[in-house]
Amino acid sequence: MRIEKCYFCSKSVYPGHGTAFVRNDAKVFRFCTSKCHKNFKMKRNPRKVRWTKAFRRAAGKEMVIDSTIDFEKRRNVPVRYDRDLMRSTLQAMKRIAEVKKRRENAFWKNRMATSREKLKTHQRKLTTKRQSPVRLLEPMPGPAPSEKVKIKIKATEKPKSALVAGEGRSMGMEIDHD
Amino acid sequence: MGRLRRSRTHRAQRDVHRASRTRARTKDLDQIQLIDLDPKNRAKLEAQELDYEKPGLAQHYCVECAKYYETDSALQSHWKSKVHKRRCKALKEPAYTIEESELAAGLGRDDRRAVATTPDTAMSQ
Repeated sequence: MRIEKCYFCSKSVYPGHGTAFVRNDAKVFRFCTSKCHKNFKMKRNPRKVRWTKAFRRAAGKEMVIDSTIDFEKRRNVPVRYDRDLMRSTLQAMKRIAEVKKRRENAFWKNRMATSREKLKTHQRKLTTKRQSPVRLLEPMPGPAPSEKVKIKIKATEKPKSALVAGEGRSMGMEIDHD
Repeated sequence: MGRLRRSRTHRAQRDVHRASRTRARTKDLDQIQLIDLDPKNRAKLEAQELDYEKPGLAQHYCVECAKYYETDSALQSHWKSKVHKRRCKALKEPAYTIEESELAAGLGRDDRRAVATTPDTAMSQ
């Protein structure tokens, strides 16, 4: 059993899920959902679509250089089953995941700290821009408020109904029933 | 009777949908960048034999855009166009591949071949 990765969003594609497209040069493109497949058909570059992993990687939003990432690899070398090797591998996986999580958290915190600074300087710039150098000495005199007068108008016409034949839709003349 | 169908449902997207089918898929950027732009392949593509199925008998081909033109003047004006220049710009940066999608998911590649073990060493282990 192999867990493939989606070509567009890099999510895991489990057996029995998603679709695959084989290009005429025998390259297999896997897709987790129809959304990803549609985006592929539109020939979009995943590096430029913000919700994909490829974008996050290219834009420096994820940890890229780290020793914990280098463990997971597609190895095309079969390994004979060995009980001790299996146990040690499982233990290592747990430990590596722990370390990776901690490092990712630190990376995120660092990233947020710099972005917060950036946001603050940006806001400061905006507030200085907003204070315009022109100031009005006196408020402009607007038009005098006029008094509103209510006028009662009696409704004489009956509301038209589309259910009754010929009501407002026939070619004939309209006749008042009052 | 009045109108039963909702208005503004027609969007004239038939040809757009047809063009986006995988059966009508045109060459991808990575195919062009890694294969077609190679000088040897490029020369071959630009000097194709007469093909009665292709537009302009396959004599006026733009390699970057993977497109046949009817006449030489049409090809010349295409090279000056914005579409072509935009395409050339897109081809300058490395194309997105399946390997990159796997890398983004944290799945690297280890292309080392299996070490040939002689039966003696396998027995001693």
